[in-house]
Order: sequence, then structure tokens, then C-alpha cells
Amino acid sequence: MKSKTMEKSQNNIGVLEEHPLGVQPRFKVGDRVQLRDMPYFFYTRSQMWARGVVGTIAALTYSDLVPEDEAFNVDGRVEQYYIVRFRQKDVWADYPFEDDTIQTESPERWLEPIS
Amino acid sequence: MSSRTELSQEREIIGTFQPAIHLPQNWNYEVTGPQYRALMHPPHDVGGQFDFSIQHEEKEEEQWELNTYVTCEVLAWRGFWTAEERRRRADNDLGYTMYLGFPYYGRWIWSAARMLVDKKHFSLAELMEKFAEVKSRYEK
Repeated sequence: MKSKTMEKSQNNIGVLEEHPLGVQPRFKVGDRVQLRDMPYFFYTRSQMWARGVVGTIAALTYSDLVPEDEAFNVDGRVEQYYIVRFRQKDVWADYPFEDDTIQTESPERWLEPIS
Repeated sequence: MSSRTELSQEREIIGTFQPAIHLPQNWNYEVTGPQYRALMHPPHDVGGQFDFSIQHEEKEEEQWELNTYVTCEVLAWRGFWTAEERRRRADNDLGYTMYLGFPYYGRWIWSAARMLVDKKHFSLAELMEKFAEVKSRYEK
């Protein structure tokens, strides 16, 4: 269970460089994904309203530290982040308009592929 | 996977955790002296507070409670924490909502998990994945 320690990939002003460790993204723009419904523990960036909802990858943003690890100052693993687009109607059952969408950012570990 | 209905019910329960008397709390710069002292008060120090009468019940510990007790004691025996740290985490740090919402040993195991994450014996992401994996075994 112990995290592997990797070298910090920071430049001299302390900003993470893009794709510092050559993370291979699992998804591409247009892929259908579902936000996982993992247990709540202490910290997460994955919002409740989007859990279990099927959406579409709208963009690949950057790779960065696993948020649940970074929140506790553990800087081992890096993962790809995505913008995921959902239909408002899929998120809120009584939402009145068919075509409206909402986007959120998600780290890769929280996304499952939908075929 | 929780259904949309379950998540919606969960949101309603979270709504009931709002204090019955709540001043607008965002941007609340006007914290008076007595309010400040009340906010800083540790949840486990309940002497003198209003409560309903509690019915006395003879009840043996459940197996998970015994497991929790032994786990926490072994963690102390092996030097991961002390009894005082356990009390600080399980009775003080978790806040009123969880203090009042969890059973006694629920607070113990919550604090043991939090301590092990805080001290980097494993990462939070690893704990989440492990929890999800074990939970899925019971859902099959």
C-alpha cells in the first residue's frame, strides 16, 4: 500500500510543468464516461451531483498529482485530468430544458468507460 | 453504484445537519466573544449541556466494535499513536455532526483511518480504492 516516491516535477518557480511524467491518457475527446461513486473519506474533488452520471469527455486539461494524495502532501502519483460534459437533464431529473449541459473537471481515476 | 434517488436522499439528510439556529455563516465577520468561545469548544466536553434523558440499556459489544477496539490498541502498542492522540482525534477533531452522528466505536475507527492517512502509512486514494474493492465483494 505504500506509495512509490517519485521525483518532484517542478520548475524553479514551483509550478508543475505540463505532462511532467508523460502520463498516457486513458480517454480521448468524445469518449463516454461515468463518474464513479467511491466512498467519501476525508477529502475529494469529485462532486456528489455528478456521481453515477454518464457524460462525455470535452477536453483533456493537464496531468497533475492525485488530488486525494496531494491534499495530504503525498506527491507520488500523477494522473490525467479531463473536462467532462453532462446533460443537465441527466444530472437533475426535473431540469426543464433538453439541450443544456454542465461541465466539471475530473481526475482520471474517477472515470469509468461506457461502451 | 448509488442510484440518483439514493444520492438525492443523501442530499436531504445532509440538509438536516444544518443547525436549527443558523445565522448566515458565510462571510460572518461578526463573531462575538461568547460565540467565539462556543465555536472553539471541543465537542466531547458535554457536561451541563441540554439533552434528552437517555434510556439505559444493557448491551454487549458487537463484533465490529471489538475488532475496532483491538485494532486501535494494537496501533498504540506498535507506536502508531497514543491513547491521548486517539482521544484527541476521535472525540475532538471530527466535529459536532460526526461526534453526535456516529456510534462510540465508529468514532474510533474513523480516527484510526484518518491518523494512518495523516501520517502517510498509506495514501487516501489507496484507502478509497481498497474500501471500494472490499465493498464490491459484499455487493456481489
